[in-house]
Amino acid sequence: MGHFSYQTHLAALVMGILLTSCTTNVRVEGTVPTPLVAKIPANIGVHFSDEFRTFHYQEDLKDSGTWKIPLGGKNLTFFQNLLSSMFTAVEEVSEPPFPDGEMQHLDGVLVPRITKYGFLTPAISGLKFYSASIEYQILLYNREGEVIGDWNIVGYGKSEGGSFGADEALGDATMLAIRDGGARIAIEMSQQPQIIKWVKNIEATVAE
Amino acid sequence: MIQRAVAILLPVLIAGCVSSRIEQSREGVTGIAGGEGMVILGRASYNDHQTEESFTDCISDILVKGATPIRLIPDQEFKDNLFPWFEPRTAPTSAGELSRLFAQPGVQDRIDEANVRYLTWIDGDTVTVDKGGSMSCTISTFGGGCFGMSYWEQDASYEASIWDLDNLTTAGQISADANGTSYLAGLIVPIPILARPGNAACKGLAKQLRAFVVGE
Repeated sequence: MGHFSYQTHLAALVMGILLTSCTTNVRVEGTVPTPLVAKIPANIGVHFSDEFRTFHYQEDLKDSGTWKIPLGGKNLTFFQNLLSSMFTAVEEVSEPPFPDGEMQHLDGVLVPRITKYGFLTPAISGLKFYSASIEYQILLYNREGEVIGDWNIVGYGKSEGGSFGADEALGDATMLAIRDGGARIAIEMSQQPQIIKWVKNIEATVAE
Repeated sequence: MIQRAVAILLPVLIAGCVSSRIEQSREGVTGIAGGEGMVILGRASYNDHQTEESFTDCISDILVKGATPIRLIPDQEFKDNLFPWFEPRTAPTSAGELSRLFAQPGVQDRIDEANVRYLTWIDGDTVTVDKGGSMSCTISTFGGGCFGMSYWEQDASYEASIWDLDNLTTAGQISADANGTSYLAGLIVPIPILARPGNAACKGLAKQLRAFVVGE
Protein backbone atom coordinates (compact mmCIF):
# COMPACT_ATOMS: atom_id res chain seq x y z
CA MET A 1 0.00 0.00 0.00
CA GLY A 2 2.86 2.25 0.94
CA HIS A 3 4.70 1.35 -2.28
CA PHE A 4 1.57 1.98 -4.35
CA SER A 5 1.13 5.33 -2.66
CA TYR A 6 4.74 6.29 -3.49
CA GLN A 7 4.24 5.37 -7.17
CA THR A 8 0.98 7.24 -7.32
CA HIS A 9 2.59 10.31 -5.85
CA LEU A 10 5.55 10.06 -8.21
CA ALA A 11 3.25 9.69 -11.23
CA ALA A 12 1.17 12.66 -10.06
CA LEU A 13 4.33 14.71 -9.62
CA VAL A 14 5.63 13.82 -13.10
CA MET A 15 2.22 14.53 -14.63
CA GLY A 16 2.12 17.83 -12.79
CA ILE A 17 5.56 18.82 -14.06
CA LEU A 18 4.65 17.82 -17.62
CA LEU A 19 1.40 19.73 -17.55
CA THR A 20 3.03 22.79 -15.98
CA SER A 21 5.79 22.76 -18.59
CA CYS A 22 3.14 23.01 -21.32
CA THR A 23 1.51 26.06 -19.75
CA THR A 24 2.91 29.57 -20.02
CA ASN A 25 1.67 31.87 -17.29
CA VAL A 26 2.13 35.44 -18.47
CA ARG A 27 2.57 38.23 -15.94
CA VAL A 28 1.46 41.67 -17.13
CA GLU A 29 3.61 44.26 -15.39
CA GLY A 30 4.62 47.83 -16.04
CA THR A 31 4.39 51.41 -14.91
CA VAL A 32 1.07 53.26 -14.71
CA PRO A 33 1.71 56.77 -16.02
CA THR A 34 -0.58 59.72 -15.37
CA PRO A 35 -1.67 61.31 -18.67
CA LEU A 36 -0.56 64.84 -19.40
CA VAL A 37 -3.78 66.11 -20.99
CA ALA A 38 -6.28 68.89 -20.31
CA LYS A 39 -9.10 67.67 -18.07
CA ILE A 40 -12.56 67.33 -19.59
CA PRO A 41 -14.77 69.59 -17.40
CA ALA A 42 -17.23 66.96 -16.24
CA ASN A 43 -18.02 64.99 -13.09
CA ILE A 44 -18.38 61.41 -14.20
CA GLY A 45 -19.18 58.05 -12.79
CA VAL A 46 -17.38 54.97 -14.12
CA HIS A 47 -18.49 51.39 -13.88
CA PHE A 48 -15.87 48.66 -14.06
CA SER A 49 -17.66 45.33 -14.43
CA ASP A 50 -16.36 42.20 -12.72
CA GLU A 51 -15.44 40.87 -16.15
CA PHE A 52 -13.34 43.99 -16.80
CA ARG A 53 -11.71 43.83 -13.37
CA THR A 54 -10.68 40.20 -13.64
CA PHE A 55 -10.27 39.84 -17.40
CA HIS A 56 -8.08 36.92 -18.33
CA TYR A 57 -7.36 35.22 -21.61
CA GLN A 58 -6.43 31.64 -22.29
CA GLU A 59 -5.51 30.00 -25.56
CA ASP A 60 -4.20 26.58 -26.45
CA LEU A 61 -1.65 26.58 -29.26
CA LYS A 62 -0.71 23.36 -30.97
CA ASP A 63 3.04 24.01 -30.90
CA SER A 64 3.55 25.92 -27.68
CA GLY A 65 0.88 24.69 -25.27
CA THR A 66 -1.51 26.70 -23.15
CA TRP A 67 -1.06 30.43 -22.62
CA LYS A 68 -2.70 32.14 -19.67
CA ILE A 69 -2.77 35.94 -19.63
CA PRO A 70 -4.48 37.53 -16.61
CA LEU A 71 -4.46 41.20 -17.64
CA GLY A 72 -7.52 42.44 -15.72
CA GLY A 73 -5.68 43.70 -12.62
CA LYS A 74 -3.09 45.83 -14.40
CA ASN A 75 -5.65 47.03 -16.95
CA LEU A 76 -7.99 48.13 -14.13
CA THR A 77 -5.25 50.08 -12.33
CA PHE A 78 -4.30 51.71 -15.62
CA PHE A 79 -7.89 52.77 -16.39
CA GLN A 80 -8.57 54.03 -12.86
CA ASN A 81 -5.51 56.27 -13.11
CA LEU A 82 -6.23 57.27 -16.71
CA LEU A 83 -9.84 58.33 -16.20
CA SER A 84 -9.11 60.09 -12.88
CA SER A 85 -6.66 62.32 -14.75
CA MET A 86 -8.95 62.99 -17.71
CA PHE A 87 -12.04 64.38 -15.93
CA THR A 88 -12.70 67.00 -13.23
CA ALA A 89 -14.01 64.34 -10.85
CA VAL A 90 -14.47 60.58 -11.15
CA GLU A 91 -16.23 58.09 -8.90
CA GLU A 92 -17.01 54.43 -9.34
CA VAL A 93 -20.70 53.56 -9.64
CA SER A 94 -22.85 50.45 -9.95
CA GLU A 95 -23.79 48.91 -13.28
CA PRO A 96 -26.49 50.38 -15.53
CA PRO A 97 -29.45 50.92 -15.30
CA PHE A 98 -28.51 53.48 -12.65
CA PRO A 99 -30.70 54.14 -9.61
CA ASP A 100 -32.42 57.58 -9.75
CA GLY A 101 -30.42 59.12 -6.92
CA GLU A 102 -27.02 57.98 -8.16
CA MET A 103 -26.95 60.24 -11.24
CA GLN A 104 -28.00 63.50 -9.58
CA HIS A 105 -24.50 64.87 -9.00
CA LEU A 106 -22.92 63.32 -12.10
CA ASP A 107 -22.77 64.59 -15.67
CA GLY A 108 -22.51 61.09 -17.13
CA VAL A 109 -21.19 57.57 -16.67
CA LEU A 110 -18.49 55.76 -18.62
CA VAL A 111 -18.54 51.98 -18.95
CA PRO A 112 -15.38 50.47 -20.49
CA ARG A 113 -15.32 46.88 -21.71
CA ILE A 114 -12.66 44.63 -23.20
CA THR A 115 -14.33 43.09 -26.24
CA LYS A 116 -11.37 41.27 -27.72
CA TYR A 117 -7.83 40.23 -26.86
CA GLY A 118 -5.40 38.42 -29.13
CA PHE A 119 -1.72 37.69 -29.43
CA LEU A 120 0.82 36.35 -31.89
CA THR A 121 4.02 34.48 -31.16
CA PRO A 122 7.08 34.63 -33.45
CA ALA A 123 6.31 31.04 -34.50
CA ILE A 124 2.91 32.16 -35.81
CA SER A 125 3.80 35.55 -37.28
CA GLY A 126 7.27 34.71 -38.59
CA LEU A 127 8.55 37.97 -37.07
CA LYS A 128 11.00 38.52 -34.23
CA PHE A 129 8.27 39.85 -31.95
CA TYR A 130 5.48 38.81 -29.66
CA SER A 131 2.51 41.05 -30.34
CA ALA A 132 -0.76 41.66 -28.53
CA SER A 133 -3.92 43.59 -29.27
CA ILE A 134 -6.80 44.64 -27.04
CA GLU A 135 -10.08 45.99 -28.33
CA TYR A 136 -11.98 48.24 -25.94
CA GLN A 137 -15.54 49.45 -26.14
CA ILE A 138 -16.36 52.58 -24.17
CA LEU A 139 -19.97 53.57 -23.59
CA LEU A 140 -20.98 57.02 -22.33
CA TYR A 141 -24.33 57.37 -20.60
CA ASN A 142 -25.93 60.76 -19.96
CA ARG A 143 -27.64 61.75 -16.72
CA GLU A 144 -30.89 60.23 -17.97
CA GLY A 145 -29.19 56.86 -18.44
CA GLU A 146 -29.22 56.96 -22.25
CA VAL A 147 -26.19 55.88 -24.27
CA ILE A 148 -24.84 59.02 -26.01
CA GLY A 149 -21.41 57.75 -27.03
CA ASP A 150 -20.04 54.40 -28.17
CA TRP A 151 -16.38 54.04 -29.20
CA ASN A 152 -14.20 51.14 -30.13
CA ILE A 153 -10.48 51.55 -29.60
CA VAL A 154 -7.77 49.02 -30.37
CA GLY A 155 -4.45 49.05 -28.55
CA TYR A 156 -1.41 47.30 -30.02
CA GLY A 157 1.85 46.27 -28.44
CA LYS A 158 4.85 44.24 -29.47
CA SER A 159 7.98 43.11 -27.74
CA GLU A 160 11.16 41.36 -28.76
CA GLY A 161 11.19 37.66 -28.05
CA GLY A 162 14.31 35.67 -27.33
CA SER A 163 14.92 31.98 -26.90
CA PHE A 164 13.88 32.33 -23.26
CA GLY A 165 11.38 34.56 -21.55
CA ALA A 166 8.40 34.14 -23.89
CA ASP A 167 6.14 34.91 -20.94
CA GLU A 168 8.00 38.15 -20.24
CA ALA A 169 7.89 39.20 -23.89
CA LEU A 170 4.14 38.61 -24.18
CA GLY A 171 3.53 40.31 -20.83
CA ASP A 172 5.48 43.30 -22.09
CA ALA A 173 3.57 43.33 -25.41
CA THR A 174 0.26 43.19 -23.52
CA MET A 175 1.29 46.08 -21.26
CA LEU A 176 2.26 48.10 -24.34
CA ALA A 177 -1.16 47.33 -25.85
CA ILE A 178 -2.84 48.65 -22.69
CA ARG A 179 -0.67 51.81 -22.88
CA ASP A 180 -1.42 52.25 -26.57
CA GLY A 181 -5.16 51.97 -26.01
CA GLY A 182 -4.92 54.33 -23.02
CA ALA A 183 -2.90 56.86 -25.02
CA ARG A 184 -5.53 56.93 -27.76
CA ILE A 185 -8.34 57.34 -25.23
CA ALA A 186 -6.46 60.18 -23.49
CA ILE A 187 -5.82 62.05 -26.72
CA GLU A 188 -8.88 61.27 -28.81
CA MET A 189 -11.77 61.16 -26.37
CA SER A 190 -12.04 64.94 -25.97
CA GLN A 191 -12.11 65.29 -29.77
CA GLN A 192 -15.15 63.01 -30.26
CA PRO A 193 -18.17 64.96 -31.59
CA GLN A 194 -20.45 63.35 -28.96
CA ILE A 195 -18.09 64.41 -26.16
CA ILE A 196 -17.83 67.97 -27.52
CA LYS A 197 -21.64 68.23 -27.67
CA TRP A 198 -21.98 66.66 -24.21
CA VAL A 199 -19.46 69.08 -22.66
CA LYS A 200 -21.23 72.04 -24.30
CA ASN A 201 -24.49 70.91 -22.70
CA ILE A 202 -22.80 70.60 -19.29
CA GLU A 203 -21.28 74.08 -19.60
CA ALA A 204 -24.65 75.51 -20.71
CA THR A 205 -26.34 73.89 -17.70
CA VAL A 206 -23.70 75.33 -15.34
CA ALA A 207 -24.10 78.81 -16.92
CA GLU A 208 -27.85 78.73 -16.24
CA MET B 1 54.64 29.98 -25.87
CA ILE B 2 51.77 27.88 -27.24
CA GLN B 3 49.38 29.36 -24.70
CA ARG B 4 50.38 32.89 -25.76
CA ALA B 5 49.85 32.03 -29.43
CA VAL B 6 46.39 30.60 -28.68
CA ALA B 7 45.51 33.69 -26.65
CA ILE B 8 46.43 35.91 -29.61
CA LEU B 9 44.85 33.78 -32.34
CA LEU B 10 41.60 32.79 -30.60
CA PRO B 11 39.92 36.23 -30.67
CA VAL B 12 40.99 36.61 -34.32
CA LEU B 13 39.48 33.21 -35.15
CA ILE B 14 36.17 33.72 -33.36
CA ALA B 15 35.61 37.27 -34.61
CA GLY B 16 34.39 37.49 -38.18
CA CYS B 17 34.96 40.45 -40.47
CA VAL B 18 32.57 43.39 -40.35
CA SER B 19 32.58 46.32 -42.73
CA SER B 20 30.87 49.47 -41.51
CA ARG B 21 30.15 52.98 -42.73
CA ILE B 22 29.10 56.04 -40.71
CA GLU B 23 27.68 59.18 -42.33
CA GLN B 24 26.59 62.41 -40.77
CA SER B 25 24.63 65.44 -41.89
CA ARG B 26 24.48 68.53 -39.71
CA GLU B 27 21.70 71.07 -39.95
CA GLY B 28 22.64 73.37 -37.07
CA VAL B 29 25.26 74.27 -34.49
CA THR B 30 25.26 71.85 -31.57
CA GLY B 31 26.71 71.76 -28.06
CA ILE B 32 25.54 70.71 -24.63
CA ALA B 33 25.86 72.71 -21.42
CA GLY B 34 26.50 71.25 -17.98
CA GLY B 35 23.29 69.82 -16.57
CA GLU B 36 21.60 69.52 -19.93
CA GLY B 37 20.66 66.02 -20.97
CA MET B 38 19.57 63.87 -23.86
CA VAL B 39 17.00 61.14 -24.28
CA ILE B 40 17.40 58.26 -26.73
CA LEU B 41 14.25 56.59 -28.03
CA GLY B 42 13.93 53.66 -30.41
CA ARG B 43 11.37 54.00 -33.18
CA ALA B 44 8.60 51.44 -32.95
CA SER B 45 6.07 51.16 -35.71
CA TYR B 46 3.52 48.49 -36.38
CA ASN B 47 5.17 46.93 -39.38
CA ASP B 48 7.69 44.09 -39.59
CA HIS B 49 10.58 46.06 -38.13
CA GLN B 50 11.35 47.73 -34.84
CA THR B 51 14.55 49.13 -33.39
CA GLU B 52 15.86 46.58 -30.90
CA GLU B 53 15.92 47.68 -27.27
CA SER B 54 19.35 46.09 -26.99
CA PHE B 55 20.64 48.52 -29.63
CA THR B 56 19.45 51.68 -27.86
CA ASP B 57 20.75 50.22 -24.58
CA CYS B 58 24.13 49.64 -26.23
CA ILE B 59 24.34 53.28 -27.39
CA SER B 60 23.24 54.56 -23.97
CA ASP B 61 25.85 52.43 -22.19
CA ILE B 62 28.61 53.96 -24.31
CA LEU B 63 27.43 57.58 -24.07
CA VAL B 64 27.18 57.69 -20.27
CA LYS B 65 30.83 56.61 -19.99
CA GLY B 66 34.07 57.95 -21.39
CA ALA B 67 35.96 61.21 -21.13
CA THR B 68 32.93 63.32 -22.07
CA PRO B 69 29.92 61.48 -20.61
CA ILE B 70 26.47 62.70 -21.62
CA ARG B 71 23.63 62.84 -19.10
CA LEU B 72 20.89 60.56 -20.40
CA ILE B 73 17.30 60.53 -19.22
CA PRO B 74 16.02 56.91 -19.09
CA ASP B 75 13.60 56.34 -21.98
CA GLN B 76 10.87 54.74 -19.83
CA GLU B 77 10.99 57.63 -17.34
CA PHE B 78 10.75 60.13 -20.21
CA LYS B 79 7.80 58.32 -21.82
CA ASP B 80 5.98 58.00 -18.49
CA ASN B 81 6.48 61.69 -17.64
CA LEU B 82 5.15 62.71 -21.04
CA PHE B 83 2.45 60.05 -21.45
CA PRO B 84 0.55 59.85 -23.83
CA TRP B 85 2.70 61.90 -26.23
CA PHE B 86 5.66 59.59 -26.91
CA GLU B 87 3.93 56.23 -27.38
CA PRO B 88 4.64 54.36 -30.66
CA ARG B 89 1.49 55.62 -32.40
CA THR B 90 1.33 59.10 -30.85
CA ALA B 91 4.97 60.23 -30.90
CA PRO B 92 5.89 63.08 -33.27
CA THR B 93 7.34 61.80 -36.53
CA SER B 94 9.21 64.98 -37.43
CA ALA B 95 10.69 67.94 -35.59
CA GLY B 96 8.08 70.09 -37.33
CA GLU B 97 5.44 68.56 -35.05
CA LEU B 98 7.27 69.62 -31.88
CA SER B 99 5.79 73.12 -31.67
CA ARG B 100 2.24 71.66 -31.73
CA LEU B 101 3.25 69.09 -29.11
CA PHE B 102 4.87 71.69 -26.86
CA ALA B 103 1.63 73.68 -26.91
CA GLN B 104 -0.09 70.83 -25.03
CA PRO B 105 -0.63 71.59 -21.34
CA GLY B 106 2.33 70.62 -19.17
CA VAL B 107 4.59 69.28 -21.93
CA GLN B 108 7.01 72.24 -22.04
CA ASP B 109 7.21 72.25 -18.22
CA ARG B 110 8.07 68.55 -18.04
CA ILE B 111 10.81 68.96 -20.68
CA ASP B 112 12.21 71.95 -18.80
CA GLU B 113 12.12 70.10 -15.46
CA ALA B 114 14.11 67.21 -16.91
CA ASN B 115 16.43 69.71 -18.67
CA VAL B 116 16.33 67.73 -21.91
CA ARG B 117 18.27 69.50 -24.66
CA TYR B 118 18.32 66.77 -27.31
CA LEU B 119 15.93 64.02 -28.30
CA THR B 120 17.52 61.33 -30.45
CA TRP B 121 15.39 58.87 -32.36
CA ILE B 122 17.07 55.63 -33.41
CA ASP B 123 15.44 53.93 -36.36
CA GLY B 124 16.61 50.69 -37.95
CA ASP B 125 17.40 47.09 -37.20
CA THR B 126 19.70 44.16 -37.88
CA VAL B 127 18.45 41.54 -40.30
CA THR B 128 19.80 38.29 -41.67
CA VAL B 129 20.08 38.78 -45.43
CA ASP B 130 21.57 35.44 -46.41
CA LYS B 131 22.31 32.07 -44.89
CA GLY B 132 23.42 28.69 -46.09
CA GLY B 133 25.64 25.65 -45.63
CA SER B 134 24.89 22.64 -43.51
CA MET B 135 26.24 21.00 -40.42
CA SER B 136 25.31 17.79 -38.67
CA CYS B 137 26.20 16.53 -35.25
CA THR B 138 26.19 12.89 -34.21
CA ILE B 139 26.80 11.05 -31.01
CA SER B 140 27.43 7.32 -30.55
CA THR B 141 28.99 4.90 -28.12
CA PHE B 142 32.35 5.48 -29.84
CA GLY B 143 32.15 9.25 -29.48
CA GLY B 144 30.62 12.05 -31.44
CA GLY B 145 31.23 15.26 -33.27
CA CYS B 146 29.97 17.92 -35.62
CA PHE B 147 30.91 18.12 -39.30
CA GLY B 148 30.16 20.67 -42.02
CA MET B 149 29.88 24.41 -42.13
CA SER B 150 27.04 26.94 -42.03
CA TYR B 151 27.09 30.69 -42.48
CA TRP B 152 24.76 33.64 -42.14
CA GLU B 153 25.18 37.21 -43.33
CA GLN B 154 23.70 40.07 -41.30
CA ASP B 155 23.09 43.65 -42.27
CA ALA B 156 22.75 46.32 -39.58
CA SER B 157 21.31 49.62 -40.75
CA TYR B 158 20.42 52.41 -38.32
CA GLU B 159 19.78 56.13 -38.44
CA ALA B 160 19.86 58.58 -35.54
CA SER B 161 17.80 61.71 -35.96
CA ILE B 162 18.79 64.36 -33.43
CA TRP B 163 16.20 66.98 -32.46
CA ASP B 164 17.18 70.14 -30.60
CA LEU B 165 14.40 70.76 -28.06
CA ASP B 166 15.62 74.33 -27.40
CA ASN B 167 15.02 75.37 -30.99
CA LEU B 168 12.40 72.70 -31.85
CA THR B 169 14.38 71.82 -34.96
CA THR B 170 16.31 68.90 -36.39
CA ALA B 171 19.98 69.30 -35.51
CA GLY B 172 21.13 66.54 -37.85
CA GLN B 173 21.22 62.88 -38.74
CA ILE B 174 23.80 60.15 -38.38
CA SER B 175 23.52 56.85 -40.21
CA ALA B 176 25.41 53.66 -39.49
CA ASP B 177 25.54 50.65 -41.76
CA ALA B 178 27.48 47.49 -41.02
CA ASN B 179 27.60 44.14 -42.72
CA GLY B 180 29.23 40.90 -41.71
CA THR B 181 29.12 37.14 -42.25
CA SER B 182 29.35 34.67 -39.40
CA TYR B 183 30.47 31.06 -39.78
CA LEU B 184 29.99 27.93 -37.74
CA ALA B 185 32.51 25.29 -38.72
CA GLY B 186 32.13 21.74 -37.48
CA LEU B 187 35.54 20.13 -36.98
CA ILE B 188 34.53 17.54 -34.40
CA VAL B 189 33.74 20.46 -32.10
CA PRO B 190 31.70 23.38 -33.52
CA ILE B 191 33.89 26.45 -33.95
CA PRO B 192 32.01 29.75 -34.24
CA ILE B 193 33.50 32.67 -36.16
CA LEU B 194 31.08 35.43 -35.31
CA ALA B 195 30.68 38.77 -37.01
CA ARG B 196 28.69 41.29 -34.97
CA PRO B 197 27.51 44.02 -37.34
CA GLY B 198 24.93 45.30 -34.81
CA ASN B 199 27.67 45.83 -32.27
CA ALA B 200 29.89 47.57 -34.84
CA ALA B 201 27.02 49.87 -35.87
CA CYS B 202 26.31 50.67 -32.21
CA LYS B 203 29.92 51.59 -31.44
CA GLY B 204 30.28 53.69 -34.60
CA LEU B 205 26.97 55.48 -34.12
CA ALA B 206 27.58 56.17 -30.41
CA LYS B 207 31.04 57.60 -31.08
CA GLN B 208 29.72 59.90 -33.81
CA LEU B 209 26.64 60.88 -31.78
CA ARG B 210 28.79 61.92 -28.82
CA ALA B 211 30.97 64.09 -31.06
CA PHE B 212 27.89 65.58 -32.74
CA VAL B 213 26.10 66.49 -29.50
CA VAL B 214 29.19 67.81 -27.75
CA GLY B 215 29.87 69.93 -30.83
CA GLU B 216 33.30 68.58 -31.71
